[in-house]
Amino acid sequence: MSNNDTKDGVSRRKFLEGTGIALAAATTAPAIKAQNAETETPVPRTTISVTINNTTHRVEVEDRWTLVELLREHFGLTGTKIGCDRGECGACTVLLDGKAVYSCSHLAVWADGRGVETIEGLAQSGNLDPLQRAFIEHDAPQCGFCTSGQLMSAKALLNANPHPTADEVRAALAGNICRCSNYNHYVAAVLAASGAKGTAL
Amino acid sequence: MSIDPLKTVGHATPRIDALERVTGKATYTGDVKLPGMLYGRVLRSPHAHARIRSIDVSAALVMPGVKAILTHQNCQVVWGSGSIAGGVQYNDAIKKTTKQRRYAFNNPVRFMGEPVAAVAAVNRHVAEQALLRITVDYETLPFVLEPEDALKPEAPQIWPEGNLALNVRNEAQPIGVRRGDVDQGFRTADHVFEDRYTTAFVHNAQMEPRACVASWEGDELTVYTPTGGVANCRTDIARDLGLAPDKVRVICQYMGGNFGNKNQNQDADLIASMLARQAGAPVKLELSRKEDFIGMHGRWPTVQYYKVGVNNDGSLQAIQLRGYSGMGPYRKNSGAIGGIEVYHCPNIETIIHPVYTNKTVSGNFRGPEFPQGYYGIQSMMDDVAYKLKMDPVDFVLKNMVRRPSDQAEFTNYTLEECLRRGAESFEWKKRWKTQAGSDAGPIKRGAGMAFMAFRSGIGQSSAIIRVDANGKYTVYVGVTDVGAGAKTTMAVIAAEALETPLSNIDLVWGDTGRCPYSVGESGSRTTIMTGYAVVEAAHDLKRQIAQKGLPKGKDFHTASAAPNPRLPEGKVRNAFGAHFVEVEVDTELGHVRVTKYLAVHDCGRIMNRLSADGQIKGGAIMGIGMALHENLLYDRRSGLPLTAGYYGARVATHRDAPNVEVLFIESDDGYGPYGAKSMGEASKVPAVAAVANAVFNAIGRRMKDLPITRDKILGALA
Repeated sequence: MSNNDTKDGVSRRKFLEGTGIALAAATTAPAIKAQNAETETPVPRTTISVTINNTTHRVEVEDRWTLVELLREHFGLTGTKIGCDRGECGACTVLLDGKAVYSCSHLAVWADGRGVETIEGLAQSGNLDPLQRAFIEHDAPQCGFCTSGQLMSAKALLNANPHPTADEVRAALAGNICRCSNYNHYVAAVLAASGAKGTAL
Repeated sequence: MSIDPLKTVGHATPRIDALERVTGKATYTGDVKLPGMLYGRVLRSPHAHARIRSIDVSAALVMPGVKAILTHQNCQVVWGSGSIAGGVQYNDAIKKTTKQRRYAFNNPVRFMGEPVAAVAAVNRHVAEQALLRITVDYETLPFVLEPEDALKPEAPQIWPEGNLALNVRNEAQPIGVRRGDVDQGFRTADHVFEDRYTTAFVHNAQMEPRACVASWEGDELTVYTPTGGVANCRTDIARDLGLAPDKVRVICQYMGGNFGNKNQNQDADLIASMLARQAGAPVKLELSRKEDFIGMHGRWPTVQYYKVGVNNDGSLQAIQLRGYSGMGPYRKNSGAIGGIEVYHCPNIETIIHPVYTNKTVSGNFRGPEFPQGYYGIQSMMDDVAYKLKMDPVDFVLKNMVRRPSDQAEFTNYTLEECLRRGAESFEWKKRWKTQAGSDAGPIKRGAGMAFMAFRSGIGQSSAIIRVDANGKYTVYVGVTDVGAGAKTTMAVIAAEALETPLSNIDLVWGDTGRCPYSVGESGSRTTIMTGYAVVEAAHDLKRQIAQKGLPKGKDFHTASAAPNPRLPEGKVRNAFGAHFVEVEVDTELGHVRVTKYLAVHDCGRIMNRLSADGQIKGGAIMGIGMALHENLLYDRRSGLPLTAGYYGARVATHRDAPNVEVLFIESDDGYGPYGAKSMGEASKVPAVAAVANAVFNAIGRRMKDLPITRDKILGALA
């Protein structure tokens, strides 16, 4: 059956008339029945202990889950974004024991016994991190989708090097793509934040 | 021209939603989670061109956790805006007449990555497993990748009507303009130059891949989706699904970039909606990065043949362009090649062929037909100036457009000021080399420039503002912030017009259930059109307050405006600009580094200096990426894309981004809100040409094929 010609009128009209999806009987004969089991074969699972933003959780994870999947789907920490899910863009950057990593390229089970910091944990006891304040003042986020990753990479940089040069900032954030290409503002914001003090939320 | 400063408009204002953006609290479509929500995944064609003999979904259907499956056999939904017929906005009339319909699922499939089936399941892993159990029997068909090849008689025919794309009247015709007599111009010109330039397919590559959450309640559909225009998206979804528009609600609170990739509705919205309908549960469909690269659209690649007649004094006599634009197998936009209109020339002829190919689809991308067209024509003209031993700035000053036509004039004109002030600030005379490639040693420096004019038309949009007893204002506007700051801009304009502090304004946005029509975040129009509606509504509300005083108790005063302003006959409104670039080329490695970049723009009055800077810098850096790196490469033997991702397509990173200096020449021509003109697309338009011209000035070789990668530079110098 081709829909490249105009002989599709019947089924489309049927649909438009409100019958919902005109299922072609031949292919969909085995109608979808009520299903209980989530999957056919049990998926390997492991219980891990992971500290996320200073709170330790014991949690059973599927071995195939990535760290970002654990954070977003199971802890509801959706501030960490998935831009590519394959280690290219840096939108999912979090700190793992203080080091910036792509959480799309780490399995959740690898976080066992380790500490994860996300964008949600950046403000401490009601105070914005100096980086967050500087990002606001410099209008660093445009669409904002890469911002969490830029912030976490910058956090890792300032932890290791509190007074970086502009080139050191560019090098540290090289793995964080901003398609709005607001790179100038991100670098200016990180430089401004280095050595600055926190501010109330 | 100097303008009087205003109280709130025109200052450096941090965004009203900045806190949400830096704390991870901003809710993007992928962050939406509804009770009982299923997860969708799409099976895509592994072939460039194939007929589907059969699809067997039975093994997938019986999998526990699989709730719905769509293929072309049970889903005949037409995706109207997926092939908008000649670059014209898809509408009810076109829906009736267009011959070449694009469905959500097509057979035959015409490019690698075209949707073949979609599954909704209890989680993404089950959905992905189910895709693996769908068996598709393909009969592969011959394919064609390059637009010039596609017009040869022996080329595989992608549509029965042939490979030259049909226009809105179902005619296979090239597009173009004709003025004067080019043949006569070439005969009388002192010199005639000819050359060929090509540009690559580059993807919008906005950070947030396409996503959609669709949910039905009875016959009412709610769609959460990233869209540059909730109102247009709703109209399109309703038309495609045969629903009344008031049965569809589109919500977009935050979105991760657009650049033209999220205008109108997308097939993902239709697929998620149909899956949700079949499954009887909400469905979230998120595209992977690779799917987004090949399943959405990017900038159309072009081949441009120029012929230019010029006299000894540098005055242009005739310009001819024969162009070919690769549209993919569906015409999602016009395929035009822009740029000649910014030159004043008595004889002009353009003949541009929008051509079907079996590559991924081309469509809107930040200044749809301009960055690639400007690269071609302004490289060509830079070359002509060089051959005439003229400074390119002098050549432009001699030949640039000064009136849109003999019968019309611009509302204001600052192009000359952009060029002169830019050249002075950039120290053009010092940096541009009269002898291209003359630096001694392996590291060579050079400078290039390009200029632009971009439409800034006024038009219809709407806004509602209400005030409560405490004098607190709520502004209802159907905008979404694609990244350019529309929400903050609307609040700033409202605060100015209402003469109240910005903190006194609340904004309701991005929801067709709560907001009036807005024109949509495409064509750099939101500030001009919706911003003007905000001003009109504010003036009405101020009149009401003056007459009646503030409301009492729980009452509100409400004002709405839906202005549809028109320019007077004979007036054309443009933004203007000029970019100046210095590069350093390592002639041993072929590496290009941008060492200085100045962007001069007249975008009318600046609404927010902070986000305006970001718009100009971002467009310029995106242009650097397009000039030097970006390309979606295809394997000629298989017809499959090879670089569908950030690494492969090589968008600009922190390390590619120079510090971009921005110089605004502000103006107020009396139109738009306080004189605001277009901005977001303008900044990218001349950038590619300026970088390419700088590379020529550095190495003395004209780079005629984008992107200007290391191998091409080394090849040109060999």
